[in-house]
Amino acid sequence: MKQFELLHQPESPILVARLVLAIGSRVDPPGQRGRQQLLAGVLTRGCGELNAEDFANKVESFGASLRCDAGDDFLVLALKCNNDDAIFLLPLLLDMLESPSCDKDQVNLERDLNIQTIQRMREDPFYLCHEKLRLLLFSDGPYGHDPIGIKNDLEKIEPKLLLQISKQLSARSALLVLAGNPSLSLQEQCINRISGWTSEIEAGPPLIPEPLNNFAAVRCRTEQVVMMIGFRTVEIQNPDALLLRILQVHLGVGMSCRLFHVIREELGLAYDIGAELITRSSDSPMIWHLSCGIDRAPEALSAFLGEWRRLLEQPISAAELNLAVAKIKGQEALSCETLSQRADRLAALLSYGLPKNHSEICLKKLQHVSPAELQQAAQRLLQKPNLSVCGPASALNDLKHQWQVAMS
Amino acid sequence: MMVASVICSLTLPNSALGFPAPQQHLLGNGCPITYLPVADASVVCIEFWCQAGSAMEQNTESGIAHFLEHMVFKGNENLPPGAFDLQIESMGGSSNAATGFDEVQYHLVIPPEGLALACDLLPQLVLQPSLERESFQMERLVVLEELSQSEDQPEEVAFQRLLHLACGNHPYGRPIIGLRSDLLNHGPADMQRFQNRHYKAANCAVAVGGCFASDELLKILAAGPIGELDAEQDPALIDLNPNDLHMHWQPGEHHLSLPRLESARLLVAWAAPFAADPEALMGIDLWAAALAEGRSSRLVKVLREKLQLVESIDVEVHPLERGSLVILEAVTNPESLPKVRQELEKLLSQAQQGFEFQEIERAKRLLGNGYTFSHEAISQVTHHLGQASLQKRLLPLDAPLQWIKQWDQDRLHSLAKNWDLSKACILEVLPE
Repeated sequence: MKQFELLHQPESPILVARLVLAIGSRVDPPGQRGRQQLLAGVLTRGCGELNAEDFANKVESFGASLRCDAGDDFLVLALKCNNDDAIFLLPLLLDMLESPSCDKDQVNLERDLNIQTIQRMREDPFYLCHEKLRLLLFSDGPYGHDPIGIKNDLEKIEPKLLLQISKQLSARSALLVLAGNPSLSLQEQCINRISGWTSEIEAGPPLIPEPLNNFAAVRCRTEQVVMMIGFRTVEIQNPDALLLRILQVHLGVGMSCRLFHVIREELGLAYDIGAELITRSSDSPMIWHLSCGIDRAPEALSAFLGEWRRLLEQPISAAELNLAVAKIKGQEALSCETLSQRADRLAALLSYGLPKNHSEICLKKLQHVSPAELQQAAQRLLQKPNLSVCGPASALNDLKHQWQVAMS
Repeated sequence: MMVASVICSLTLPNSALGFPAPQQHLLGNGCPITYLPVADASVVCIEFWCQAGSAMEQNTESGIAHFLEHMVFKGNENLPPGAFDLQIESMGGSSNAATGFDEVQYHLVIPPEGLALACDLLPQLVLQPSLERESFQMERLVVLEELSQSEDQPEEVAFQRLLHLACGNHPYGRPIIGLRSDLLNHGPADMQRFQNRHYKAANCAVAVGGCFASDELLKILAAGPIGELDAEQDPALIDLNPNDLHMHWQPGEHHLSLPRLESARLLVAWAAPFAADPEALMGIDLWAAALAEGRSSRLVKVLREKLQLVESIDVEVHPLERGSLVILEAVTNPESLPKVRQELEKLLSQAQQGFEFQEIERAKRLLGNGYTFSHEAISQVTHHLGQASLQKRLLPLDAPLQWIKQWDQDRLHSLAKNWDLSKACILEVLPE
């Protein structure tokens, strides 16, 4: 994998950096779910000569933004600062991987904060529903949990384990994307330092095959039922990923999309409705979601099922395909407005092993996709839906029965 | 039908933040069109703003401003339901809208080749809604679902309660989405009255940014429904006593227990100057940043990093036309709540003695960079121009950066002296 890329913007007063390692939460070992996000947080708590307080002081005194987060596939260090300050802050970004402090007290603090965050997130019925859906799709293996982790697992992670992992970070292959106008000497300094980071990232635990069970429910005293239908599909590099994106845009992007039109505009069943394709290096999930009143939940589920069958049984029209293609072109134009957006996009493409001009290649391919191809893709990839629901117990039993009948 | 001509145009003082100087034209009816051509932008952004937020609702009208924003997208005789979205999205564009206390705004982003279509359709959509009865009934169901969704978020329920306790019967004390009882009673005629009352030229503004030709833009906008907007203000609005509009602040201490709340909250609200005094609000922003932005800030450093009493603590300034709000939120374990309250009191008292030079410099850098970083995209700048021109506060884009410089240690000390819990509305929220 290439290690350094520059998006040169000579006039920009801002510098954006993305340092990416392919060690997201998917490499969390069994029983240590949340480890990589904990590691990410700890990396912002001191490095080299700077303890946690000094580190925060330094970054904030420049008015910079510096974050480190674990996604499903990647651990990303993200810096945004004035171009003139980059000479002080970019080396710090590299120090975070080369000489993290990993102080025991700071690990314990970060771990406690993550546990409290998980507790707070449980107030959100969408979070509860999504967590159950992850288990339906991926069981308790990779991708089966939010990167923030699971309370019981986090409680068992010892600071010394984090210290051990953190010491190996700078040996690993990483990608640095800079956007802005960094000086040549600063670029050379960065390249020299990361060029020694060559070890291949070891593969994490293998994905667990999709479980047979396709229904999950969370009891919750809410006014609404949250409903998510999920499909486990293909990796972003797969040629089918583009077809899935078209289907996702057709279903869930914009106010003219199919789900919005039928379920919200025609039936008035829901306010919040959509479809997402969460791109991953393996088995990207496609998720359709809505929330609606308890009394109308069976009708909403019927509508969801109707749309799913429609995708499998009949091709979308040429007009619908053209609309989806136009939306994708619009998305591409809108996603390169800021330096951060451009750096994020380039870092993601390169980290997934895709070419820099992947978007252009996809836009060209779009012109040749047919409705029949899309229907075949739906039949291949969206054959097994999974349903997760969150709401009052009284609603859940009926939905379970309705789902079982529909799937039998 | 009279078409308003362009009667006045001006170029604002200077270019800033990497953008050229915006320009403004006043249509014959007084509606300002502010525009910022940027030749290399990949999109055009169009924003329509109107002083028709929830604060303009009269008794029993609660929620009607936001409901109208939904109904606008149901179209009219020329634009049947879904036709606007279909045409705009077929060109790769996207649109949305948002209703606040003071304003409602409709925005659209589209590749440059869609400019003429967007300038033609957006004003038609926003200013000529048919409010057809069947669509109205259907959309009411959607709005009620939106209300239910927010009621299922305990944090949102707590926040609404805080506003109600602090602002009482003032419109800021009501949820923007409205009360369920009122929403069930609204009819199309009520909505039409609200629309007629507020969607006037004097209450509206348009901002356009991105890649476009100015002449073409002004021609299309002036010839359409924006140029036809009534120039006369509703007499009922002119006669309103400004004092009736101002917030009657209600300090006090309150407790609330909520089902499904997992972490306790300490919510504190203070009244702050009007949005029309942005320089004063900048001082409060600096105070808030010194207190709670970043790990080096006083509250975060002590309450989260040292004493480990909170999961998070932040202070946000909400500029509002009838009196701004400053809201502090601490998320903590229920058993730690009393201690958090005690320590907060102590820390605010210490802040009243003033801040160190370095603390203020840090806050200035964070605020200044935050402002610059959030005005990088043409869509962000267009949004800023729309709101500023609506409120007749169109200043150079870098004016906030100049205001930051004007706050020094002494001036901030004078400000900080006035901020303690005695003037605040405090709500302690615990799990049921």
